[in-house]
Amino acid sequence: MNNLIEFLKNNFHHFVAAALLVICFVLIGHSMSYNRYKIARICQSITMPIEKSWGNLVHRFNLNKENEELLQQNLALLREQENMFLVREDTTLTQMSGTDSTHTTRTRLYDYTYAHVTFLTTDKPFNYVIIDKGSKDGIERDMAVLSPTGIVGVVSDVSKNFSSIIPLPHLDTRISAEIPSINQVGTVIWDGREPNTAYLNDVPQHLEINIGDSILTSGYSTIYPKGLLIGTVKEVSTEQNATFLTIKVKLATDFKNLDLVYVVKNLYRSEIDSLKANFKNE
Amino acid sequence: MNDVISNIIRCAVALLLQIFICNYIHLFGYLTPAVYIFALLLLPLDIPKTFQYLIAFVMGFIVDMFTHTLGVNAAAAIILMFARPYIINLLNGRKTTESNDIPMPGYKDFRWLLEFTFILAFIHQLVVVMLETFSFQHFGRTMLVILGNTILTTIVLLSIEYLFYSKSKRT
Repeated sequence: MNNLIEFLKNNFHHFVAAALLVICFVLIGHSMSYNRYKIARICQSITMPIEKSWGNLVHRFNLNKENEELLQQNLALLREQENMFLVREDTTLTQMSGTDSTHTTRTRLYDYTYAHVTFLTTDKPFNYVIIDKGSKDGIERDMAVLSPTGIVGVVSDVSKNFSSIIPLPHLDTRISAEIPSINQVGTVIWDGREPNTAYLNDVPQHLEINIGDSILTSGYSTIYPKGLLIGTVKEVSTEQNATFLTIKVKLATDFKNLDLVYVVKNLYRSEIDSLKANFKNE
Repeated sequence: MNDVISNIIRCAVALLLQIFICNYIHLFGYLTPAVYIFALLLLPLDIPKTFQYLIAFVMGFIVDMFTHTLGVNAAAAIILMFARPYIINLLNGRKTTESNDIPMPGYKDFRWLLEFTFILAFIHQLVVVMLETFSFQHFGRTMLVILGNTILTTIVLLSIEYLFYSKSKRT
């Protein structure tokens, strides 16, 4: 202990010098902005690549969570879209308010959940898609299935944990569609060849259709909500002696790279179906 | 007591010279002599080293305040103070035990003084210029500035020493 004190006493001036030097460097760092900038840049050039790559790595681990959050947010936004509701004018409220503006009530018609594709085929005439949600998650027959870019198909069979879907590239597909630019309704079918190309039938020859016009669902079925994108017009041709145009449609959904799908439920489906059942047409 | 007052006066004069005259000299556009280290070089060796460092720090700090380079001259002055006894030992060729080893004309010959002043001025300028430019780009030019400053400072300091101190000490 005495030695230590002795040592400190003998070398006190060295400590003073070191302390003063430290003060000097602090002052330099504080007062001279160029030096500070230079130090910061040198430090950054060393740490930046490390921090960047490490940050990327850490970010990788969080991607799943982030994806899930984005999905939930997406669902919330999709559920609030206009075509999810039945809009009616609330006549009593309009009268009571006494102004020119009309008040409406919105009744929810459709609801969304999401699922992931576990298996799918695209090269067969009767393709099918399997998703990882089933009756346990509230999936039922004849629900519509959408992808983030377009529509996918209809739920055909439901087991406890999985569901099978008849996708748009399937020979039995019939989807009621409309072309908003000419206000004409037609039917989308698939010819069994390319999985990303379908045909739109029932459009009369006298109508002008431009390449690139979008084709939306018409909302005339209980399956698909109105106004979902099916695809865009790729080619228009007329055959001899035909009354209708032959319209090639490029489908909006990329069926070869399908992973995330949304399942749409029509909340009033049973009610509408019970009305339909009275007509023995089908 | 007399010694203390003369040292204080020397420090004050050196600072005034530095702040009001030498800081405005820019020979060839670059070279500025550091006259204030004159007082640090002539500081008696027998006062406590702690005080030596403190005096060096305060003087450097005052010069810094006027050149807006806070800390640069102070750091250089402290390093100069640290190096000074080692340089004296080196030049004497033996370990000094005498405390009244005064680096002044009349006590030492011209060659000794020249070497002493040049080496310490060089150390001082090395630190100052390096901290100011803070880059190894244009290294040649930086070294040129350091050397030029050192030579200029040495000339000025030796002139002052021989002008004001040689006669008074010999008599």
